[in-house]
Amino acid sequence: MTVLQFVARRLALTIPLLLGIIFITFMLIRIGGQDAVGMLTSPLASKQEVDAIRASLGLDRPLLEQFAIYIGNVLQGDLGNSWQSKQPVLGEILRRLPASIELLFLSIILGAAIGIPIGLRAAMRPNGLFDQVSRFVSLIGFSVPTYWMALMALFVFYLGLRWTPPPMGRISIAAFPPKPVTGSYFLDSLFAGDWSAASSAGHYLILPVAVFSLIVAAPIIKQTRAIAIEILNSDYVRLARLYGFRPQTIRRLTLRNAFTPIATYIGSELATLLAAVSLVELVFSWGGLGQWGLNAILFGDFAAVQGYVLTLAIFATTIYLLVDVAVLVLEPRSAISK
Amino acid sequence: MSLLEVENLHTHFVKRDLRNQVRVARALNGVSFRVDRGEIVGLVGESGAGKSLTASSIMGLLGKSARIVQGSIRFQDQELVGMTAEQLDAVRGSEITMIVQSPITSLDPLSRVGDQLIRVQREHHAVAREEARRRAIEMLMTVKIPDPERRMRAWPHELSGGMAQRILIAMALINAPKLLIADEPTTGLDVTVQAQVLDLLNDLVRSRDMAAIIITHDLGIVANYCTRVAVMFSGAIVETGPTREVFARPRHPYTQALLDSVPERAKRRGGGQLSGAPPNLYALPTGCLYNYRCSKATETCRGVPPLIDVGPDHRALCHHASA
Repeated sequence: MTVLQFVARRLALTIPLLLGIIFITFMLIRIGGQDAVGMLTSPLASKQEVDAIRASLGLDRPLLEQFAIYIGNVLQGDLGNSWQSKQPVLGEILRRLPASIELLFLSIILGAAIGIPIGLRAAMRPNGLFDQVSRFVSLIGFSVPTYWMALMALFVFYLGLRWTPPPMGRISIAAFPPKPVTGSYFLDSLFAGDWSAASSAGHYLILPVAVFSLIVAAPIIKQTRAIAIEILNSDYVRLARLYGFRPQTIRRLTLRNAFTPIATYIGSELATLLAAVSLVELVFSWGGLGQWGLNAILFGDFAAVQGYVLTLAIFATTIYLLVDVAVLVLEPRSAISK
Repeated sequence: MSLLEVENLHTHFVKRDLRNQVRVARALNGVSFRVDRGEIVGLVGESGAGKSLTASSIMGLLGKSARIVQGSIRFQDQELVGMTAEQLDAVRGSEITMIVQSPITSLDPLSRVGDQLIRVQREHHAVAREEARRRAIEMLMTVKIPDPERRMRAWPHELSGGMAQRILIAMALINAPKLLIADEPTTGLDVTVQAQVLDLLNDLVRSRDMAAIIITHDLGIVANYCTRVAVMFSGAIVETGPTREVFARPRHPYTQALLDSVPERAKRRGGGQLSGAPPNLYALPTGCLYNYRCSKATETCRGVPPLIDVGPDHRALCHHASA
C-alpha cells in the first residue's frame, strides 16, 4: 500500500463520517434548539407575521426536506447565510479561522515545548519530588476551567500589573492591521516590515497563548511521562543497559522511541482543541472562529452553527489523517515503509 | 584463579509498606559459586529462587529497590561490587555479556538489525563504521543466519523468535566477551529451535574459549550442555558440582526432590511432584532455609547448615549431606 492509496482510502471513509456529523448537527439544532424564528422577530409580531417569516426561511417544511435542501447547497459549496450578519457562512468562517489557528498552533507549540521536557524529566524518577510537583501542576491545568484561568490571568497581568494590553482583539486599535497573507497579524506585519504593528500584535498574543498553552501542556505532561516510563522499563532499554551503552545513547534510544507515541498524542489532542480554544477567544474578544461559533450557538443561528461544527469536524479529520500519514512514514512497523 | 568468583552474595529488596515501615525481602542469602574458563555452568532452581537476580547482581543492573548488602563478585580478579555505573559500563556488553529471554522485544524496534550490531561495537570500541559492518556480517554468519547481508537490513519485528535470539547472541558475542550469561535463553522458542540455539551457544562458547552461565528451569538443558551445575533454593546455592556427579548422586534433599520431579524419573521411580511454596522472603526460617519443606529435617536443621564436601568438587549445603 502506498501513501497515496492510504490517503485515498481514508478520505473515502471520511465522507460518510462528515455526512453523519452534518445530519446529527442539523437535526439536533432543530429538534432541541430554541425556536429561531422567535429570536428573529420582534416580540410584538403577530402570529401571521411569524408564520410568514417561518415560511420564507423554509422552516415550515418537513425536517428531511430541509435537510435535503441543505445538503444540496453544501455540496455546491454554499453553507447558507448567517441570520445575524446576513453574510454567507463560508466567508465568515474563512475570515475568522486564521485567528483561531494562530492562537491554537502557538499554544500547542509552547505547550509541547513546556510539557514534553517536564514529562520526560518526571519519568526519570517516578514519584520523586520533581514528579510530584509536575503532577500537581498538570492537575491544575486539567481541573481549572479555561475561562476562569483566562479571567484570573487578565485580572493579574492586565488589571493589576498592567503588563499586557486589554483583552480587546488581536492588535491595538491605534495600529493598522497588516495586509492579510497568512491571516496571523503578527506574521503578516513581520512580512510587511511593519515593526510597530508586529510588536502590538505580539503583545496581544502573549496572554491568551500563555493561558491556553498551560491548558494544553497539562495532558501532554501526563502522557509524555507515561510513555517515557513505559519505554524506560522496556526490554530494549534494559538490554541497552546490560550491554553497557553510554547514558547519552540510552537517552537517544528513549527519545526516538517516545517520539511517535507523543506526536500521535499531541496530534489527536490538537484535533479537539479548536473547539476548546473558543472559551479563551471569548474572554479575550479574539474575534476568531471559536468566539463566533459560541455566539452562533447562543443566538440559535442555524446555518452558522452547522458551519461551525462542520469546520471542527473537517479540521479534526484532517489532523487525524496527517498524524496517521506521519506515523505511517516514520514507523518501520507500519505497512508502508520498507 | 577462576574467571568469575561470587562469594557470599546477599542482595535484598528494601521498600516501605503502606504504614511507611521498612520491609526487607532477603532475596539472595549468601550465594557463592565460581565459573572457570571454558566451562558452562547451569544455574537451576524453582521460580523465585534468585537465579535471575544473581545474574542482575553480576551485571550490576538491579532495580531501584534492590541492593547488594554483602558479598563480593570478582571477575578476572576485579571486584565488581561497588563499581560505579561508568566503570561497569566498560565491563558489561564487552567483557561480560548477557542473553535475555525475550529476544524480540529486547531489540530496539526502530533500528535495523545491522545498525544495532554496529552500535554495540561502537559503544565499546573506536571502530570505523565499515569495519564494524564487516564484523557484524561475519558474526551473523557465525550464528548461522542465512543471507546475512540482507538480514542486516531487517527490522526486529520481521524476525522470528529463533532468528531474533540468534541476532541477540550475535550482539552478545560480537565484542568477544569472556563470560556469557544466558537467562533462560530458550523460553518461548519451540523445541526444535531451542535445540538449535543451544547447540550454537555450546559450540561458540567452546570454540571461543569463553565461559557461560545458563539459567534455566530445564534439567534436560543442564544435563546436555552444562559441565557443572549449581542448584539454587531461596537465594542460596544448596548444591554444586559436576553435572554428572550431582545428577547421579544428589546429596541435598532439595536437589533430590527436584531431580525426582522430572517426568521420566518420576514415572520410573514413582516419585512425585516437588511440593510446597518458596519461603517468605520477608520472614525467612532460621537455620536451613529448606527445613520447613524437607522430609529429612531434624532438630539440627534449625542451625545454620554447613557447606560439606561430598565428592570431588561436589558440595552440598546440608547438615545431613555427609551421612
